[in-house]
Amino acid sequence: MKTPISYFVVLSAVLFAIGSVGVLVRKNALVIFMSVELQLNAVNLALVAFSRLHGNLNGQVLAFFSMVVAAAEVVVGLAIIVNVYRRMHTANVDDASLLRW
Amino acid sequence: MLSEYLPIAVLATLAVLFGVASLGVSALLRPNRPTRAKLAPYECGIEPARLPAGERFPVKFYVVAMLFIIFDIETIFLFPWAVGFRQLGLFGLAEMAVFIALVFVAYVYVWKSGGLDWREPAPRRAAAAPPTALEPEAREVVRAG
Amino acid sequence: MLAQFLIHPPIQLGPIGPELVLTGTAIVVLLGAAFNPRIGHSTLLLVSLLGLAGAALVSIGLWDWGGELTVLAGMVATDRFAVVARLILLGIAAMGLVYGYHYFRRSGEARAEFYPLVLFATAGMTLIAAAADLILVFLALEILSLSLYVLTGISARLSSVEGSMKYFLLGAFSSAFFLYGVAMAYGATGSTRLSAIAHALAGQTGSLGLALAAVAFLGIGFGFKVAAVPFHMWTPDVYQGAPTPVTAFMAAGTKVAAFAALIRVLETSFQPLTLDWTPLVWTIAAVTVVAGSLIAIAQTDIKRMLAYSSIAHAGFVLIALTAAGQDGISAALFYLLAYALMVLGAFGVVMLVSARGEGRTSLASYAGLYRRSRLLAGLLTLFLLSLAGIPPTAGFIAKVNVFRAAVAAGHWPLVLVGVLASVVAAFFYIRVMVLMYMQEPQDDAEPDRSPWPRVAVAVPAVLTLLFGVFPGIVLGVLDKAAILRW
Repeated sequence: MKTPISYFVVLSAVLFAIGSVGVLVRKNALVIFMSVELQLNAVNLALVAFSRLHGNLNGQVLAFFSMVVAAAEVVVGLAIIVNVYRRMHTANVDDASLLRW
Repeated sequence: MLSEYLPIAVLATLAVLFGVASLGVSALLRPNRPTRAKLAPYECGIEPARLPAGERFPVKFYVVAMLFIIFDIETIFLFPWAVGFRQLGLFGLAEMAVFIALVFVAYVYVWKSGGLDWREPAPRRAAAAPPTALEPEAREVVRAG
Repeated sequence: MLAQFLIHPPIQLGPIGPELVLTGTAIVVLLGAAFNPRIGHSTLLLVSLLGLAGAALVSIGLWDWGGELTVLAGMVATDRFAVVARLILLGIAAMGLVYGYHYFRRSGEARAEFYPLVLFATAGMTLIAAAADLILVFLALEILSLSLYVLTGISARLSSVEGSMKYFLLGAFSSAFFLYGVAMAYGATGSTRLSAIAHALAGQTGSLGLALAAVAFLGIGFGFKVAAVPFHMWTPDVYQGAPTPVTAFMAAGTKVAAFAALIRVLETSFQPLTLDWTPLVWTIAAVTVVAGSLIAIAQTDIKRMLAYSSIAHAGFVLIALTAAGQDGISAALFYLLAYALMVLGAFGVVMLVSARGEGRTSLASYAGLYRRSRLLAGLLTLFLLSLAGIPPTAGFIAKVNVFRAAVAAGHWPLVLVGVLASVVAAFFYIRVMVLMYMQEPQDDAEPDRSPWPRVAVAVPAVLTLLFGVFPGIVLGVLDKAAILRW
């Protein structure tokens, strides 16, 4: 008994949509960032599901790369957000209005 | 089929019921007389200490955590290599040696720039983080969240 | 299933030679500065420039590559398109390094990390121009983006820090869309290799719905990187907030690299769907040129104005893309080359007028620049004329080529929109010239009078004029490079 591939793809689409909405509606830079990470993980799920669908490993290989890229983004992103917080004492993107958004 | 999931569903239902029931019953039955000591968070018997103006952590924690993440996730590439280790042979070994050498470059850079020094004031030269995250006057940050 | 991966492809490192030289140089500079913190920045600059020169030599050596069309398991293309795109990008990086050396020394914010970060970003840019597999496109895009996030925030100024956060958040958001597009393309065709995707789509073995979703998501990802409306929101903030040399490098480099990748992806893997994506590109191009030109009029800061102008220019390159095929690619390449020259020059002048750090970037501080420095006023005039597309500059030839290619492909309504937008855009470029020549200076602030940076800014000026008067000297090369081999 195998779960149909489409289930995983739909789940990944739902997760990706939740992440997108999170980026658009949340105000805290950290929460926005977490939403982006959710999107990346949704992509990973889709990649692994497609990999099973096609019976080759390209998707899984790409999932590895996307995990490493996500980690690199975490490091750079957290450093930037900490930097902003230290300078502005807020992580709210609406307060960062020196440059008009 | 779905029936395979039945035991899991039963277990989940029971767990939720037990949690809700025990919290609800104890909330109904217990006397409610809060004191200052009772409301204090439990920290292994240590008096909870708060620094003024919110909680402050040395920025070093963040730097070390970030460095940990980056070196931790690099090892992800060792797993697929380990799976095909024998078949990949000398070629795989050489590739992995190159990869580890590159990770080692990053490590040497962090080490030399003072990213791993814990005690003395962070030097002007930054570690892997953007420059200003490590300026001397900024050894502490208020927790962002 | 595993076996296919265990037969390793033949290793031909030649076609990624430029990237190997660049990353090698970056590592040497990084470790050199880490082991010897007192090392002179002129040494770092020199080593970095040597690395760029070495990479350029290796790229030129690839012009007559006689080997396979793609190497390293189909990851890297070896065509002349990649060679030309690389050479443009390496030139941009050299200008960025020279500007940065001067700027940070003068503003007292010199950091050794600037040089390796620029080199890493350049490696990502050149790699993306040669990437023949969506995995590699994604990785190269991230290499350049992550380096640029940090470069944007390399200064301690508040606006720089804020710009880097905005750039990072929106950049990461767009990367997620891009990666989802890659996943969709893989789901539709079972491969991430551009040629395999094209074969699957041409043979209709792939899933059309997923493929169209892939085009849409990849389009969003690229739209962010090239700053096309409606994905342009980050551009003015980041261009204004970043230190001016970083802005110059980023504005020119990211646009060239992202467009090179966009051209390759659209013209190879999604070439069977040309009829589907052309209307999409058509619409975005029209909206981008109009919105970019209109919003630029309202700007009071020259860096923001140039940012909106760069958005409008992205629209013009997109117009070239609607004309698929060799003509379109050749026109797009020439436009990118001309754009890189004029934007590097214009931001170079902005850096010199600011004298030290940022400040004095409001349009008002350009009043009477002619009285202060005829050279800077003259150079800026040339770059603004080129941006506006007025002869005898490279910008004029570039616009003519783009319009000609689009008309030949039957997109004359789009060309009409483009011409009208150019007329609107000419207004705000000429407004700056009026300020410089016809008004009195409002204060007595002196522009930067260092000799070498002026020579550096003069280089794009000479080339802008040269390509404007004798475009034939590069057009022949670009035509040869405009054939994608895959």
